[in-house]
Amino acid sequence: MCANNAGVDRATESSRWDLVMTRTFDAPRDLVFKAWTDPKQVQQWWGPHGFTNPRCEVDARRGGAMRIDMRGPNGVVYPMQAVFEEVRQPERLVFVTRALDDKGNSMFEVRNTVTFVEHGGKTELTLEAQVIRATAVAPEYLKGMEAGWSQSLERLAAHVRSPRQRADN
Amino acid sequence: MTVDDRLSATFGALADRTRRAILARLASGEASVTQLAEPFAMSMPAISKHLKVLERAGLIRRGREAQWRPCRLEAGPLQEIAGWIEHYRRFWEENFDRLDDYLQQLKKQPGGRNKETRHVRKQRRR
Repeated sequence: MCANNAGVDRATESSRWDLVMTRTFDAPRDLVFKAWTDPKQVQQWWGPHGFTNPRCEVDARRGGAMRIDMRGPNGVVYPMQAVFEEVRQPERLVFVTRALDDKGNSMFEVRNTVTFVEHGGKTELTLEAQVIRATAVAPEYLKGMEAGWSQSLERLAAHVRSPRQRADN
Repeated sequence: MTVDDRLSATFGALADRTRRAILARLASGEASVTQLAEPFAMSMPAISKHLKVLERAGLIRRGREAQWRPCRLEAGPLQEIAGWIEHYRRFWEENFDRLDDYLQQLKKQPGGRNKETRHVRKQRRR
């Protein structure tokens, strides 16, 4: 009950200019928190569908760095760096992410605050993102990435829908 | 101001609670500075300062009518921001989907994750 009300309040308070997302995961909080701070585990899920993470370093402590190279289904590598500003196990993570262009320049910086709340063995995760700076190429960059994962989703959908058709090709 | 600076200025302007409240008010129509100041326990110079930040970021426009200079919302930069946020939201939704799948996998193989973690730690020590 309380959790639902809090979710509604947050949704009302936030506008389309903010990013506040809440998702409940069917796993205890310790497990979910570990999945965010253990590099071997982050490597398994980080990034959109169809992406892999050939490089995944996560030093989850205050001032520690996170370096993830996301490789899209089309082979394009999207490097990302972050610095942890706060690590409060197992309830809160604050990190500033920077997406880099091919010259290593930062295209955008976003402060992400992730909170983990446990309710009866499940974990309610809330992500709040505050954009610190963004260059004009940042929207294009995200659009490009999205094109990559949309394609992989379409392939997946086609795969699920018609395995016979796929065999014919 | 370059395009990059403008986008950053727009995000910067939106980071403040009062300025967002001002924009929300202007979404329902133009208003004078006095009208905008009403809901806040703030001096007129303080409100004027916020309006200057919003104006510089291209988020509002102020009329030239001599006395009351009404403030109006500029839709362009806000749409740009909303579009940007939408892309970023979709990126995280994808991540959450994958995290969800990953956690379900972990639950299906009890003990598997712990073994894996221990194995990795041992390798690192060598």
